[in-house]
Order: sequence, then C-alpha cells, then structure tokens
Amino acid sequence: MSIEVQGVRRAFGDVLAVEDISLTAEPGEVTALIGPNGSGKTTLLLMLATLLVPDHGQIRVDGLDPVTQPTEVRAKIGWMPDGFGTWDALTVREVLLTIAAAYRIAPDQARTRADELLHTVHLDDLADRRARVLSRGQKQRLGLARALINDPSVLLLDEPASGLDPRSRIELRDVLRGLAAEGKTVLVSSHILTELQEVADRAVIVARGRSLETQSLDAGFIATATASWRIDSLDPERLATWLEERHVPATKVGGGLTEVEVAGEENAARLLADLVGDGIRVIAFAPSQGALESAYLAATEDRR
Amino acid sequence: MSWHGIKTIAALELRQRLRTSRWPIVFGIWVLLIAGISFLSYWATNDPDLQSGSAMYDIVVFFVLGLSMLIVPSLTATSVNGDREHGVLATLQTTLLTEWDIALGKLLSAWVVALAFLATALPFLAWAWAEGGVSGGRIVLSLFVLVLVLAVVCAIGLMFSTLTARPVSSAVLTYLTMGALVFGTTIGFGLSAFLVTQQEKQQVYGIPDTWWEQHQPPAFDPADPNLTPEQLEEIQKSQRQPTRADCTTFTRTSTVAHTERIWWMLPLNPFVVVADAAPSEARKDNGLYASGFTPMRWISAGVRAARNGPSDVHDECTGYIVNEPLQGSDEGVDDPFSKALDTAPVWPYGLAFLLVAGAGATVLAGSRLKTPIRRLPNGTRIA
Repeated sequence: MSIEVQGVRRAFGDVLAVEDISLTAEPGEVTALIGPNGSGKTTLLLMLATLLVPDHGQIRVDGLDPVTQPTEVRAKIGWMPDGFGTWDALTVREVLLTIAAAYRIAPDQARTRADELLHTVHLDDLADRRARVLSRGQKQRLGLARALINDPSVLLLDEPASGLDPRSRIELRDVLRGLAAEGKTVLVSSHILTELQEVADRAVIVARGRSLETQSLDAGFIATATASWRIDSLDPERLATWLEERHVPATKVGGGLTEVEVAGEENAARLLADLVGDGIRVIAFAPSQGALESAYLAATEDRR
Repeated sequence: MSWHGIKTIAALELRQRLRTSRWPIVFGIWVLLIAGISFLSYWATNDPDLQSGSAMYDIVVFFVLGLSMLIVPSLTATSVNGDREHGVLATLQTTLLTEWDIALGKLLSAWVVALAFLATALPFLAWAWAEGGVSGGRIVLSLFVLVLVLAVVCAIGLMFSTLTARPVSSAVLTYLTMGALVFGTTIGFGLSAFLVTQQEKQQVYGIPDTWWEQHQPPAFDPADPNLTPEQLEEIQKSQRQPTRADCTTFTRTSTVAHTERIWWMLPLNPFVVVADAAPSEARKDNGLYASGFTPMRWISAGVRAARNGPSDVHDECTGYIVNEPLQGSDEGVDDPFSKALDTAPVWPYGLAFLLVAGAGATVLAGSRLKTPIRRLPNGTRIA
C-alpha cells in the first residue's frame, strides 16, 4: 500500500516542473509534502494520480506502475486536486453519486457511502443543495468526500486545508489521522506547517523540483532539531555582548527581541540557564517557530 | 469501455443540461421558428391544383438541418475543454471510467439533445406529409440520413473541444468546419469548374449549322413586288423554324465542362446528402409535370448531372431548344430533371464520407482524453 517515487522528472516544454523527486510514503502514516509555490508538488501528485507520465524515474503505488497499470492504480487511490471543481448544476449528493457510479459502485451501496461521507465532512445539511452554493471551504470538504468514495487505500491530497475554517482544519486533521490509523497511506501537500507538524509523521521537503530531505516528525526530531528561539531581556546590550563572546549566532528582530539558533531543546535549556546564571535578566524565552518550520526554512533558504 | 460508463457520463451531461435554465427557451424559439417557416411555406406553396407537401417538406427539412447545424456544434464544441477549465474532467479521469466512456458518453448526450430538436420538428413534417406528395418512405430515409448527419456534427464538435485549450477556439473551429462543408464544397466546386472546362470536339444531336445556312434570309427585299416564285419560296423557307425532324448527329468543337472530375466535392455537403437521399417526385398538375419549388429535387438532379458529366452525344433536340409544335395539348412538357434523377444516387458517397469523418473525429477525441498524458499541448491544464 505504499507510495514509492524514485528520481522522477517531468518537464512541460521548456519548464522543468519536477527535476528529481524521490520519496517514500508508508501505510499507516501521514506523509507531508512541503515546499514553496512552484516547487513541483502538484505536478508530482498528478503523476501519482495517473494523469501525467513522468519523463524519467519510477513511481510505484502499492507496487503498481501508474503508467502501465492506470486502472488498477485508480481503484486504489483517492485524489483530491488543488482547486477542486464541481458540476455546479448538481446537488452535493449527486456529485458523490456520480463519482460512485464512475467507480462502478452499486447504487444502493453508493447511497449509503455518500451519506456516510457527507456526515464525516459535515455537509449532511447541504446534501440536497446545488454544489454551486458551496463556499470554498465547503467545496474543499466535498472534494475530500469525493476522494474517499471508493474507500481508497492510498490518499493523495493537494492543499486540502486551503480555505478551511479553523474548526474544519482540526476536523481534517482528525480525519487524516483516522485514515492513517486504518492503515491507509496518506500523502498530503500543504503550506500550513504548524498544522502539518501535528498531523504528519514524516515530511518531505521539495524545492525547485527536487526533494531536499525527508524529515521524520517524531518526538526525537522535535527534541533535537535546530530551531530559533526568541529572547526578550531587560539588558539587551549585555545580552548581545554575552552572545557575541560565546559565538552564539544571533540576530536582532523587531521589538527589541533577539533570535538565536539552537540545536535541540536540551541546548536551549542550557543556554537559558547560563544566561540567567550570568545575571542577564531574561523575561521571555520561547521558540519562534516550529521545528518543521525551521527545517523547511533552512532547506529552502537559497530561494531568497 | 462499457455501457455503464457511457451511461454514467451521458446522464451527467444531460442532467447538467436540463438544469441550466436556458434550454427551455432555446427549445421554445426553435419550435416557434420551425412553426413559422412551416406556415409560411404552406401559404407560399399551397395551390388547390398542386400537391404542396413536397415543397413544404423540402423547406422544413432544410430549415431543420440548417438550424441544427448552428445549434448542435454548441452542444459538444465546449464540452471537453469547458470541463477542463472548470476542473471537473480530471476528477472523472482518475476514476475507473476509460477515455472512451467519457468521449462516447459526451457524444451520446449531445446526440440525444440533437434528436430532441429533430423530434420537435416531426409534427411539421407530418403536416407536410398530410398535404400530400411526400411518401412515407422518403420521410423515413431523409430522417435516417439527418439523424446520422447530426451525430457527425456532434462528433466534430467533440473533437475540436479536445484539440484546443479554450472553448471559444473550439467553437469557432467547429463552425468553420460546418461552413467548409456547406459553403466551401459548393464554392470549391464552382471555382474549380474552370479547371475542367475546355474546348473539345463533341458529338451533338441537334440542328446542324448547315441547316441554318440553308435557311438564311435571302439578300433581297421581301417587300419588292417583282419577286420570282423561287425567291418567294426562299423567303418562306427562311421563316420556317426547325423541327425535331431536322435534328441530326454531327461533330462540333465546343466548350465542355467535365464536372465528372470534380463532382465528389458536392456530396460532402450535408445538405446535398440529405437532399439526394430522398428527392421529391416531380410536382404534378392534374397528372402533368409542373415546375414548382422543390429545392431538394433540384439539388439532387444537379449533383447527379454533375457526376454524370457531359454525355457522349450532346442532345440539343429534346427539351427546350427545338420548339416542337405540340401534337396534342395533353402531353405536356418533359420533366427536365428526370434523366439525371434516373441515374444512381450520390448520397451514399457523401454519407460514407461524413460517417468516416465522424468516426475519425470520435477516435481522435477519445485518444486525446487518454491518461496518463505523455505530451501535454500548450496551454492545456490537466486539473
């Protein structure tokens, strides 16, 4: 049930959308695909969704090749595109029933499945309204239901959280965790790093069409990853000199705050203890960004 | 490909079409237009002595064909690239539907709508039938051809909608193709006629030049009172008109158009195919030939004559050229089209061409819907 991508490359004319991406997504895990705009995430997902042929490299979805066995792969995957469109004249339920028919699901079974999914994504009360009236966030939720209609074992979600309100995001997170717990492979691309950090087991960072690194997001990573910490002190000059003497990389940020890069929580705690021990009056000491955010920013730094 | 898949797509397309409110209005306007044309053609051709059914039938069928060639392309010409623009095509392509399910489903739904248009015109064709002069077999045959022609028009629109990224360009290309089939073939035939027109020796059955030489008006004044009996006879002779008995076969160098080399352009025209499939019988006035407004008959005869080309012996004697004194007024005038209409029809060629073109267009459309895509055309988006 896993996804394996090996050295995949895809160009559109002169534009090299994906240069060299390799990744593995395991069943029972949520794998996040993160990267700047135009880094090739959507193109990669199109190739996984059996819509595009890669120029080079190999893709295996559950051991099957999407290029030579598209029908078998399609039976196993659920794909939620970025900017999901619907047939505006159809009702929400009809959209799901049409897709179910396209998957050859028997009508009565499809009806139960559609009701179930509408309940999961909280669209039951809109089931008989035209899809046209849905807001962007509601359309996203319909898109998720659409991707789940054939009970896929591999889920490919392209920016599923965009346009969702905070409650829907939390619910999406729970849905994704639930799917992973059922043993499904979930690959999700997103920009919202703080949320991914909570839902994903693993993050693949891509930039300029290349996969830069795969970061496991377990407790060990959080404890050891290099992160930025913000220090607010009543003695800013003394703090600056202190950091300079000890060669701690530091930058001044707005509001009189100082930001330092520290590898791991252990070192951060030691730094704070030393500062206080040397009589510098620290009034705030907090991570400025999540560990995933730091890893992402570090990996894509050259883009600036 | 499966019937289930085709049905799924066709049902989806039809449901969407029914829900968009414009369609009842379009249908209403369509019925009003056909009704108007039917009434007008009834008044124009109605005559107690003549059966007006055939004229009415020709007008209504041509009108239905012309109007549906304007409406039907819009059913398919934007169906695939429009879906792409709305981002709904890829969601179907990632399901178990094949590219042929999608192509044939869209084609089927457009055809069903086109047939619905045709069905609303049936009462008016029945009226023409009731007026007399149109046989049931003729109605069945021309409707059969019309139904197939509409399917071909749908297929061409579908093909262009898979070939271009923007709905506007595919609609324009489809209308241009329709224009090429209707006007392009006719204009092409007319303009290339000079290429096959040449001076050549031709066998003619008619009044030879020598006859006219012998019947020249004499060089003397007919009013002269001192004319000899020979001279008077000569005057009388010059006033005589040639009769059928004076016709002989002779050779003459004249301008001949070999339309049999370029006739094949004409049956590509859907109007020619429909007209030639079932031309009306000649209008009869008390059992005698009477010319009347029968455009399908004219087109049919014209195209068959063009296909036959110049005959071995050019007949100038039968018909108009020689004024045959009427032996009995009951005989009437010969039907000038009967000779061409007795030869083999041309519509099977035209229909075969249109069907091959339609099948080719459908196959191309299906192959353009195939995923995964290897080569993506410029400006096309997938999802």
